[in-house]
Amino acid sequence: MTFYKAKKIVIIAEKMLSSKICEMIDKSGARGYTVVPAGGKGAHHRHYTSERASVVDDFSTVRIEVIVSDKSVAEKICSKVVEECFDNYSGIVYLEDVEILRPGKFSGET
Amino acid sequence: MDFISDFFLRFIVQFQSPTLGFLIGGMLVAALGSKLKIPNAIYQFIVFMLLMKIGLNGGIEIREANLMEMALPAFFSILIGLAIVRVGISIFSLLPGVNKEDGIATAGLFGAVSASTLAVAIVMLEEESIAFEAWAPALYPFMDIPALILAIVIANIHLKKQENGKGKGKETKVDVWQIVKESLRGSALSALLLGLALGLLTNSESVLTSFYEPLFKGFLSILMLIMGMEAYDRIKELRSVAHWYAVYAALAPLMHGLIAFALGYFAHLLVGFSPGGVIILSVIASSNSDISGPPTLRAGIPSANPSSYIGASTSVGTPVAIAVGIPLFIALAQIVFEL
Repeated sequence: MTFYKAKKIVIIAEKMLSSKICEMIDKSGARGYTVVPAGGKGAHHRHYTSERASVVDDFSTVRIEVIVSDKSVAEKICSKVVEECFDNYSGIVYLEDVEILRPGKFSGET
Repeated sequence: MDFISDFFLRFIVQFQSPTLGFLIGGMLVAALGSKLKIPNAIYQFIVFMLLMKIGLNGGIEIREANLMEMALPAFFSILIGLAIVRVGISIFSLLPGVNKEDGIATAGLFGAVSASTLAVAIVMLEEESIAFEAWAPALYPFMDIPALILAIVIANIHLKKQENGKGKGKETKVDVWQIVKESLRGSALSALLLGLALGLLTNSESVLTSFYEPLFKGFLSILMLIMGMEAYDRIKELRSVAHWYAVYAALAPLMHGLIAFALGYFAHLLVGFSPGGVIILSVIASSNSDISGPPTLRAGIPSANPSSYIGASTSVGTPVAIAVGIPLFIALAQIVFEL
């Protein structure tokens, strides 16, 4: 089996941003994404994990992972998310190098 | 003098009532660092159960109600919600060390309504056998939504002015309809409106009396526990912002409730709004949204610091409204209406 190089974008953001970010990801041409609940601490607030009965649940965070074969698509997604979301809400974005097995599943163009 | 001693007696008795006891218990438990957690899903379910019961009761009674009777209190609710926001913003602009957007957001939350405070009031009224129109809780959206909209609109106007001054060009048009939709879709309002519709249109009495009603008080006590724990946790956030928020949060519920009481009294004279209804109007005015309001404001005024408005509302505002406000308005009504 041959492994192919790809880029993984990891976005950790406030939960209330998740639908907005997922829309952006869909529009950019990525084939899919994975969302995982998260908690932690940032420069401004402490984010409670989903275990805790936080009265206002919308303030916990999520970790969204997107894998795309094309580096420029990855960079486009990253800059879009930073521009449109992180001015006013908390979050971070970073890129990782990954190796994937079925490139057809991750390519930006159908 | 009778009034004062009566009020204090009533006040002390309230601390022994399960609702207030659980609220304080929750705060203590969190303060001592206990690992007791009520799962989030249960909290959401409880909010649903409470509002469904309130809604069903209200819907069933609307069948026999005269809609004209509702019109004036509903109009007053809208007025009060808007007034609280406007006055709150003016107050905050006078206080030093207060960021303009944070003040607007906090005023917005205090104009909005808390479902939990309303539920406590209903329980206390039932215990005191004070009758009220069962549709009175339906005044909730009339106060809640205009207040939030006004706060977001004012904040956006303020921001636009700032940006025009700096020469930035970001278009921030306020989509009012979107805010209304988001508020109505919130879990608390959805449950209330669904309950109202079902009570009005279906024969839900059996399900109400066999399921929703018996469980109401018990679930309310658990909700109070959760709110107490949350109130304690948010105190740390409140410490990080100007102490004016705490002062406002302590006094505003009483101020707003008294204004509403006065307007409710007019409604009583003009259209026969019941004393219990006047109390409910006062309670929803004094309440401040701590569940559905914050996300709406976070989305509408993203630059406001949540520690200020959530801290003010959850740590100080709601406990004051429940512990001091409700007994105060009940005692006041008993004096004024000679119940």
